[in-house]
Amino acid sequence: MSGTIELRAFMGLADTFRERGWGNPRQLSLDGPTSGCELLAKLDIPVEQVEGIFINGKVSLPPVAVVNPGDRVALAPPGIPGPYRVLLGFKRKLPGEGE
Amino acid sequence: MFYRVNMATLAVSKDDGAQYQGLGGRALSSRIVSAEVDPQAHPLGASNKLVFVTGLLSGTGAPNAGRMSLGAKSPLTGTIKESNVGGAMGNKLGRLGIRGIIVEDLPAKDTAYVLKVSAAGLVVEEMPELKGLDIYDTVAKLQQKYGEKVAIGCIGTAGENKMASACVGFTDMEGAPTRQAGRGGLGAVMGSKSVKAIIADDAGTQMVPFADEAAFRAGTKKLANALLTHPVTSQGLPTYGTDVLVNILSEAGGLPTRNFSSGRFEGANNIGGETLNATAKERGGKTGHACSPGCIIRCSNIYKDKKGEVLTGGLEYESCWSLGADIGVDNLDDIAVMNRLCDDIGVDTIEMGVTLGVAMEGGVASFGDGKAAIELIKEVGKATPLGRILGGGAELTGKTYGVRRVPTVKGQAIPAYDPRAVKGVGVTYATTTMGADHTAGYSVTANILSVGGKVDPLKPEGQVDLSRNLQIATAFLDSTGLCLFVAFAVLDIPEALDGIVEMCNARFGWNKTAGDYLEMGKQVLRDERAFNAGAGIGAGDDDLPEFFRKEPLPPHNTVFDIPKKDLDTVFNF
Ligand code: SF4
Repeated sequence: MSGTIELRAFMGLADTFRERGWGNPRQLSLDGPTSGCELLAKLDIPVEQVEGIFINGKVSLPPVAVVNPGDRVALAPPGIPGPYRVLLGFKRKLPGEGE
Repeated sequence: MFYRVNMATLAVSKDDGAQYQGLGGRALSSRIVSAEVDPQAHPLGASNKLVFVTGLLSGTGAPNAGRMSLGAKSPLTGTIKESNVGGAMGNKLGRLGIRGIIVEDLPAKDTAYVLKVSAAGLVVEEMPELKGLDIYDTVAKLQQKYGEKVAIGCIGTAGENKMASACVGFTDMEGAPTRQAGRGGLGAVMGSKSVKAIIADDAGTQMVPFADEAAFRAGTKKLANALLTHPVTSQGLPTYGTDVLVNILSEAGGLPTRNFSSGRFEGANNIGGETLNATAKERGGKTGHACSPGCIIRCSNIYKDKKGEVLTGGLEYESCWSLGADIGVDNLDDIAVMNRLCDDIGVDTIEMGVTLGVAMEGGVASFGDGKAAIELIKEVGKATPLGRILGGGAELTGKTYGVRRVPTVKGQAIPAYDPRAVKGVGVTYATTTMGADHTAGYSVTANILSVGGKVDPLKPEGQVDLSRNLQIATAFLDSTGLCLFVAFAVLDIPEALDGIVEMCNARFGWNKTAGDYLEMGKQVLRDERAFNAGAGIGAGDDDLPEFFRKEPLPPHNTVFDIPKKDLDTVFNF
């Protein structure tokens, strides 16, 4: 099912949004469930520039994130001070990365 | 070298502090306070002592090693207190070979004393003309007399009036008093002893000696490389400062808003680091400012008003939150005015903002009214009855106005992360020896402490272990004189911790492992817990206020649900 997401960008990505003339937040339409990497490709933002994706206030990592129409989404680049990166879940190992 | 200053006799003595060998920073201040202060002592009485100590790496020129610690029994919490501060003082005291200055007893006279330390020794000077001055004027007068190159730490009228939220303001490298030993009311302890200021002049000193200079330099390089390559310490903090966390925490639903009634603030972007950075650029202010010598992270800033005049500096996340989201204010200029007032009067911005939030809930002013908040802080400066209540902190204000939602632990205001949405920090607030303190739980490398991995911020599982490990690592880092923000790089780059261990070893000729240093961290916590137990503050006090367990926090609508019995296992080591 298609619909829009409300998309925000923080730190340097906020500058990127501004330079591209995008709102922050920006309304973006999606055709249906979209992976984090697909979303970034659609936005033409390199995956390395995003450490975590907030989906409805919960942090997910780009390779495993799934965004659905209607979600509130925010892109957080690397460089956010920890330990909140740990406490909020940025510093989370992906499946297969081991302990 | 240690100096002892007796304020009753004004006698100064000097010794090598043999009983405190091998300790620095928080390990040293907490050991001195637990060994020498009766836990039952009144915090403003003759038996309390105020200690100024340097860290293991102070004065060495190591990256980010410009921090120092103040210690005493806290008038705000009744617990032991270590208050950590940047600025120019720590490095100068280190270069002067000073490990500690211990201020004892109470003066016979109601006046203002200045402790001045230089290569010639420590002298006590009486300067009654400083009495009644706030911090910026005090610094200006002292710079006129002693020159612009000295480092100054002083109290404002809040400290003189012995308010429980009084801080000690320290000058940065440009001589502006933008750095504070903020938490726990140590400014009131200083005021009780009529010590208006401490001054360090390191003219004529050399670099401190090293047991193995080559090994020290190798360690320095490892830490510096990590700080210069890690995205947090090389890009995020220098560009945006800690205030970049406003949008992040708001998005995560953990930014306490309008006295902890919501976790998301609709005005977050107006007060966040992105806006702060853009405003600084537009008005010729500065981000990427270093508060202390050797800092290569440079998280600090200089904030100018609309006319381009310097208004304040060191505008941190915690202050932008407490004087912003927590009182519903989304105007950075109002926040900057409040920050300047707090730094000048000499009160902790976290305690002040949370206190204002509680006062607003009690009907003293409306949430979102920045101008009213500014006027309330001025009352603190004038020490009117209302100002004294506010200057007494959030808990006193809550009691005075019959407010039920009072976010404090052991009498100290909870900082900028709501424990219902960031549960790990909630465990730290509840259990730290200091009263609610976010800096008590910073981080160290993941593979050493198994930090990271599976913890979900909204779920209780794993939080106790995480908080325990973070508190131990922090207690060690706070003992080195390093800025805690090196932890961001240490978390991800193992060589950074190796570098710290190598520098400490090479400075003193030790052969300790990372494990030994973490043992030092554990010992700090044991010392502090023992002091608190003697003061009648024990495991029963290790919890959050009831409302965190009962009132769900929007937008996630979660409560703090880590069982009390689990909190009681944090110190199982
Ligand atoms: S990182 Fe920030 S707080 Fe730490 S020493 Fe540098 S400017 Fe000061």
